[in-house]
Amino acid sequence: MVASHVLTGKERGAKIIVIDPREIQMSRLADIYLRPWPGTDVAWLNGIMNVIINEGLADTAFVEERTEGFDELRQVVMEYPPEKVEQIAGIPADGLRAAARMYAQTKPAAILYAMGITQHTTGTDNVKTCANLAMLTGNVGVPGSGVNPLRGQNNVQGACDLGGLPNVYPGYQVVTIPDVKAKYEAAWGVEGMSGKLGLTVTEMIEAADKGDVRAIYVMGENPMLSDPDLNHARHCLEALDFLVVQDIFMTETAALADVVLPGASYLEKDGTFTNTDRRIQRVRKAVEAPGQAKADWEIICDLARAMGAPGFEFASPAAVMEEVVVTTPIYGGVSYDRLEAVEGLQWPVPTADHPGTPYLHKGKFSRGVGKFNPVQYQAAAELPDEEYPLILTTGRMMFHFHTGTMTRRTEKLEQEAPEPYVEIHPDDAQRIGLNGGKRVRVSSRRGAIEVAVRVTSTIRPGVVFIPFHYVEGPANALTHAALDPIAGIPEFKVCAVRVEPV
Amino acid sequence: MIEAIRARVAEKLKELDGVIGLRRSPEGVAPYLFHTEEELAELVLEPRYPMSSVVRLLQKRHPAARFGVVARGCDVRALVEMAKRNQVDPERLYIIGFTCTAEEAEACHCADPAPNVTGWPQAEVIGTPVAAGSPNPMVAEYAQMPRAERWAFWQQQFKKCIKCYGCRNICPVCFCESCALEDPLWVEPGVMAPPFPMYHMIKAMHMSNRCVACRQCELTCPAHIPLTVLYDLIRQDVENLMGYVPGADLEALPPVPLTLADAPIDLDVE
Repeated sequence: MVASHVLTGKERGAKIIVIDPREIQMSRLADIYLRPWPGTDVAWLNGIMNVIINEGLADTAFVEERTEGFDELRQVVMEYPPEKVEQIAGIPADGLRAAARMYAQTKPAAILYAMGITQHTTGTDNVKTCANLAMLTGNVGVPGSGVNPLRGQNNVQGACDLGGLPNVYPGYQVVTIPDVKAKYEAAWGVEGMSGKLGLTVTEMIEAADKGDVRAIYVMGENPMLSDPDLNHARHCLEALDFLVVQDIFMTETAALADVVLPGASYLEKDGTFTNTDRRIQRVRKAVEAPGQAKADWEIICDLARAMGAPGFEFASPAAVMEEVVVTTPIYGGVSYDRLEAVEGLQWPVPTADHPGTPYLHKGKFSRGVGKFNPVQYQAAAELPDEEYPLILTTGRMMFHFHTGTMTRRTEKLEQEAPEPYVEIHPDDAQRIGLNGGKRVRVSSRRGAIEVAVRVTSTIRPGVVFIPFHYVEGPANALTHAALDPIAGIPEFKVCAVRVEPV
Repeated sequence: MIEAIRARVAEKLKELDGVIGLRRSPEGVAPYLFHTEEELAELVLEPRYPMSSVVRLLQKRHPAARFGVVARGCDVRALVEMAKRNQVDPERLYIIGFTCTAEEAEACHCADPAPNVTGWPQAEVIGTPVAAGSPNPMVAEYAQMPRAERWAFWQQQFKKCIKCYGCRNICPVCFCESCALEDPLWVEPGVMAPPFPMYHMIKAMHMSNRCVACRQCELTCPAHIPLTVLYDLIRQDVENLMGYVPGADLEALPPVPLTLADAPIDLDVE
């Protein structure tokens, strides 16, 4: 969906720069394509800012009026001249200069990224550095600009908006603020709600091993394929006293559960989905859910009533939304009537007559002025060595979605991509002595898998790629559960592996 | 226009087993088999949707039923091509055709914005025909390109393809149960963008003598590939070289054999 807009832009004269360790479909349409080593994003982003500042391409008016901390930023990025970045990131210095000039001189310019930026032990640093770059060039608060994190799923944004995070109530109201806690205690007619931060998913799995978490209720997620270091994740989930899984199919995680609750698919329920553009959109039931399956909200309400909890007497998702808007300022003006419009509503929508907010930070940041957070490059947690000489980076491919719970049950998609594989550069293939072999064994310090081999020059020598969709060759048996210290996101994009013929 | 159509549909419902049209409900617009006059308040004409595919499915599911259909010019052309290939039975289909507006004709660059129901056993047309839309300027621009440039143009365009099959699925004259585009023999699976020229040219050849210039494929394409440039030129070639215009005449047989079994073709190539 986003690529479609990018391509429209290109046909109207927009420039495309793709920076990715793998040559992807979009890079073949790009004006500039650069290939960094996985895990070096802070270095090359700082390098781009180095060129922009040294060549006088920064938006000085924006920096002066709307930001603070420029001197600190300048000091840090001066340590990243393109020649030094070339040593760290493997991007030719001239290529980096060309990209810096194109980005800075084309207004407005948007940064689009996904998990390639975030799934690192330096994920938070990577995001801060992207924000620094956008502010340095005045590419914030203007249509067509900004730092745009692309969501991997249709309603990740919506789940976070409504408090599906360990640190916030709906609308990103932080749980540790006493007034927020008091507001929700009053609204929900309860007392003694926790004012402490909860655990992230990866922390919960760890805590299960230690016995600090004894029961987990998983909804529409399949950690037995999507979590890092799967052998360890299985051990942790098996250590639980009680595991409940709610999903539309019997997933690898559901197979471990004490209780499986059948959920409804997107075709079988009413509600809203909110994607990366903060656009709250209606989803409408087209068919009845089969068998005992129910919409998630119905299951949760049934469960609450069975536990004797008051306040779950909703008649419909619209009734749930009516409660949400009362306590959630960014959703304050949302109603199902207004959502009848095809274009939905983009939050913040504070009041019933507010038109919604197509882009953020117009004229002012939420903290007032924007603060540059300069960051130094740090290497990934696990780098190649003699025993494990290649970098493994994991990810997705076009034909399957996430853990394949839906797409691997779809005949036509399965025909397109029926088996797990590793992408490897011809030089590496030759050095390892694959001799035209069709299958390889890929091992890391955590585990080993056997997969088909695809020899391709779309990846650089020294790096291999495995999509994580396949249970019969799960890339996450190899990945490293090293976490970003702030966000708690695992480093799916870099670990060290060995590839051998079988 | 819509009131006149609703009145005619109400009249025909008395003698038919149902009328196929577009229905607006709170969930959105979708094809629908209207049975009663009360339902007709929800009958709408927009957005465009290939009605021939809906007719085909409903006729197959109800082999004795007599239906009506509310159809635009391009829908009627598609019904004509489907009928020639035994996918739609004209004897069991009453066409209530309606003319497109001048704005619609211009937006579609449509050469033929009024339904041509000549030869269809039972049909009528509501509305006054408007003038043809102006030709697609991209076609003329493309026609100026030297051959090598044309090749490069399509290579670049088809690099954008995400193999969603949207162009095929929306096509009003596409109906094969097993599709060559999904056959690993012809199109290597798992390749993205799908291999050029195989994927796109197989489709183009299959459409060569049945494309009715409805533009649905181009409007559907999420990668904005200008498919009608390709198909307009193929239509021109088929007309100039073989004298055939898809959708124009129910009696005219397509120049490419419909089946190999009873095709009167001479395989003696000298």
